[in-house]
Amino acid sequence: MEREIFNSIYKGTKDFTQHDVHRANATGFSTPADEYMERGIDLNEQLIKNKPATFFFRMNGDSMEGAGIFSGDVLIVDRSITNVNGKVIVAVLNGEMLVRRLDKTFNKIRLVPETTKLAVIDVDPFSDFSVWGAVTYVVHEL
Amino acid sequence: MKTGVLLGGPNWESVRQKLGIFEKEISKQQGFMKAIVDCNNFYCSCERLFKPHLKAIPVVVLSNNDGCIISRSDEAKKLGIKMAQAYFLSKPLLQQHGITAFSSNYNLYGDMSKRVMETMQSMFPSTCIEVYSVDEAFVDMSHVPAKELHNTVKELKERIGQWTGIPVSIGVAPTKTLAKIANRLAKENKEKSRCMLILDTPGKVDAALRRTPIGEIWGVGKQYAIKLEKLEVKTAFELKQMPEEWARQQLGGVVGVRLIKELKGIHAIGLDEQLSTKKMVSCTRRFGRPLTDLTQMKEAVAMYVSRAAEKLRRQQSAAGQMTVFVIEKALDKGDVYKPNEPIKREVILPVATCVTTELIKPAVALLEKLYREGVVYEKAGVVFGKLVPDASLQGNFFAASSSTEHKFLMSKVDNINFSMRNELVKVASSGVDRPWKMKQELLSKRYTTRWVELREVN
Repeated sequence: MEREIFNSIYKGTKDFTQHDVHRANATGFSTPADEYMERGIDLNEQLIKNKPATFFFRMNGDSMEGAGIFSGDVLIVDRSITNVNGKVIVAVLNGEMLVRRLDKTFNKIRLVPETTKLAVIDVDPFSDFSVWGAVTYVVHEL
Repeated sequence: MKTGVLLGGPNWESVRQKLGIFEKEISKQQGFMKAIVDCNNFYCSCERLFKPHLKAIPVVVLSNNDGCIISRSDEAKKLGIKMAQAYFLSKPLLQQHGITAFSSNYNLYGDMSKRVMETMQSMFPSTCIEVYSVDEAFVDMSHVPAKELHNTVKELKERIGQWTGIPVSIGVAPTKTLAKIANRLAKENKEKSRCMLILDTPGKVDAALRRTPIGEIWGVGKQYAIKLEKLEVKTAFELKQMPEEWARQQLGGVVGVRLIKELKGIHAIGLDEQLSTKKMVSCTRRFGRPLTDLTQMKEAVAMYVSRAAEKLRRQQSAAGQMTVFVIEKALDKGDVYKPNEPIKREVILPVATCVTTELIKPAVALLEKLYREGVVYEKAGVVFGKLVPDASLQGNFFAASSSTEHKFLMSKVDNINFSMRNELVKVASSGVDRPWKMKQELLSKRYTTRWVELREVN
């Protein structure tokens, strides 16, 4: 009963019962397609690999246009991904949140934009830098 | 070889008994290890996660209506900001030190709390986890081998930090009460403890108990602390030495005995025993501005009933009794803020119910009796008591029972309100404009629950 009331109907999890899969045998005759009935594609499942660690952000700027991220797009960010070198990340540099590609070599951290309008940021080793999370998908409205 | 099985089979009863004893012996050797996972300055940490520029700046979060301070970052604590301090009194101090204040954003905190708990579930089965409050959970670690305990706790702490961004402290000990003590000490010196403390030997337990003043023990209230100090029992260690019979007399009977047992490392408070279902459910709030108008007060009370009824349904209870109270506006007397006593009235309901519409009517009737014209009110509240399980409702032969249709309606309303965000469907008597609604001037965005309020990045 608790589940029924306090969880939203659409949960995007994998537990479902046979009753969720509608069968075409209302007339008593089953169709060959019956055996192939399955659940529709669930975007939550496809785009969110780790639910408690996944957050959404909204892009406000054109720093990553070359990577296909435009102003107004929604970013799906996974905090549990730790191997982020070379990936597009949400970085925190001196208290500011930036979306850039991380380029880490043995003695240098660089935040690389994908536009000609902005310069590469060389992260000063004494600055306050951290990775907030890795951008895994972009939702872009056409 | 297997003749025993072939000839009539084993005596299962005796096998089970033997196994039972065997299990008990093992657990005695390993000890039941309980952990408490406690989010550090939870509300402040939630705000900071989305505002990283506040990392080193002191932060406080205010209660409903911006009344008082309910969460403080470590920096704010160091500056002498006290818990539950009235906001308007501490405003000058906050400004002087450049402390950032936020209204409480329960949508954000609720979602972050869920994430923390879900992260724990990725390491432990949910039967081992007891969510104790929005920012605390007990974890039964009895099954973790002693030599892996440290690494497991470290992994748990790091995973929660990595996945959710919320820093936690973990205390581990043979009982819940001792785990709480361990956690408190871990928080006392975060750099040294790295927010973890495991009390896995009697020596460590005793050292921790010696460092714990009596009033800081979980379950020892202010009154008992004063009483115990008068009896020259000042630390948890001294309390542990007291005989159980003494505790029975001095510390509220069986509760006191349990407490002593817990301090001795004997498991006496089970997982999920403390706060399973609440005995009372309430909704109490200060109005956004003082009210004199009965209509507006009725709306407010109807809304409080709606919220409290929702809580009732969530824990599958029905209320048999209801109290409504109002508080008159206190006069400002310099810097001493002394609220008035609540004026209350209660009623026994003919049939225990959790249906909002059935609860609003008697609540409004009570309010009408309490209300006096010309008086300025600042706060009201509704408390439901005599709770019974909703499933086994006792019908009253003489009163019309709340029908299943009503309950069906309520379950649908709850479902819509939960999935479509708060209060899309509400009872009309709880008002539309709601001028009395709470003040939240310093509210941050609902970054994790609203599509249009996402955190912007560039």
